[in-house]
Amino acid sequence: PERPARVSKVRPPLYQYIRKLLFSDLDKSTIEHVLRQLRKLPWRECEAYLLKCFMKVHRGKYGQIHLIASLTAGLSRYHDEFAVAVVDEVLEEIRLGLEVNDYGMQQKRVAHMRFLGELYNYEHVDSSVIFDTLYLILVFGHDTAEQDALDPPEDCFRIRLVITLLQTCGHYFDRGSSKRKLDRFLIHFQRYILGKGALPLDVEFDLQDLFAELRPNMTRYASIEEVNAALIELEEHERTASAEKASSASHSDAEKRSSIRTASNTSASTN
Amino acid sequence: MKTKKEGEAKARSKVVVRHLPPSLSRSDFFGQIDTLFADRCSWTSFRPGKISSRKGQQCSRAYVDFKRPEDVINFAGFFDGHVFVNEKGAHFKAIVEYAPCQRVPKRSPRDSR
Repeated sequence: PERPARVSKVRPPLYQYIRKLLFSDLDKSTIEHVLRQLRKLPWRECEAYLLKCFMKVHRGKYGQIHLIASLTAGLSRYHDEFAVAVVDEVLEEIRLGLEVNDYGMQQKRVAHMRFLGELYNYEHVDSSVIFDTLYLILVFGHDTAEQDALDPPEDCFRIRLVITLLQTCGHYFDRGSSKRKLDRFLIHFQRYILGKGALPLDVEFDLQDLFAELRPNMTRYASIEEVNAALIELEEHERTASAEKASSASHSDAEKRSSIRTASNTSASTN
Repeated sequence: MKTKKEGEAKARSKVVVRHLPPSLSRSDFFGQIDTLFADRCSWTSFRPGKISSRKGQQCSRAYVDFKRPEDVINFAGFFDGHVFVNEKGAHFKAIVEYAPCQRVPKRSPRDSR
């Protein structure tokens, strides 16, 4: 059959140069150089394209994602507008992934979780963003009509997303309030996992590794009843703790009651 | 008196408006809210969407940081659920949420490089 020859995309030289810097030059030894070259670019012209390229972390090597996070943090001093946009964009991608739940997007979604974790490691986002994202993954679309499409009972992909994020930055949640926040999250996570029933072995092994690394002494609950009891106990404990310091009211509950909707109870229709 | 503990979130003021029509432009969007809110926001950002035949469409998005947290409530009341109808008759229902990351850019010094 007659078919027009495939035309390859011709990019302007400036775009080609950006791609060369990010996708082929960038490695541990050249990052300083790449950062300097990026700073020399005509930002007005190419900021939007640069943002697009930074979002393509899934095209490069998985082990190099931290370099892009490092560049983001490095650029924030001179182009904070851009560095903030990177974070907003990653969080949007994560949200969109949950809304669409398309199998073909899985690799990209895992890469974006990794990227977010690395942005935390480079102190570019704070722990509340990480925990909000973790909880969003557990609850998004639940108790809506779309639950079966967004998070089918046998689908373990969200577990993968949580594992990826915590593998990347979970080891920093080892003291103070972020330690408590992770302890609390991991119990909620366990309830989510138990809701899935029997897990494929590879997922189970990754979970075992994750718990061994982050909380070797934490109980793995065997049934929904046990984990629910643990959650009730936790809430009880939090209530007495917050009653003691009445000034700092439980902040996450207050958020849920706020009159502005939060992502978790928004319908996921994309028209 | 409430003392601010380290790590405690301050009142959130940055919102994201999602599910805007892909063809909506920055000026269209801000044209709709400017009369009421222009002097109440301290920073805005707009990400135009895209219509591509292969991958479907990508909605536009806007980020707005308000000077006062109360304005967020007013804005959400005014704009959340606002329906846009495009030239082909498709409906887009805007949703207003707190932005998941509350960071707003600091003014950057000019890069002398």
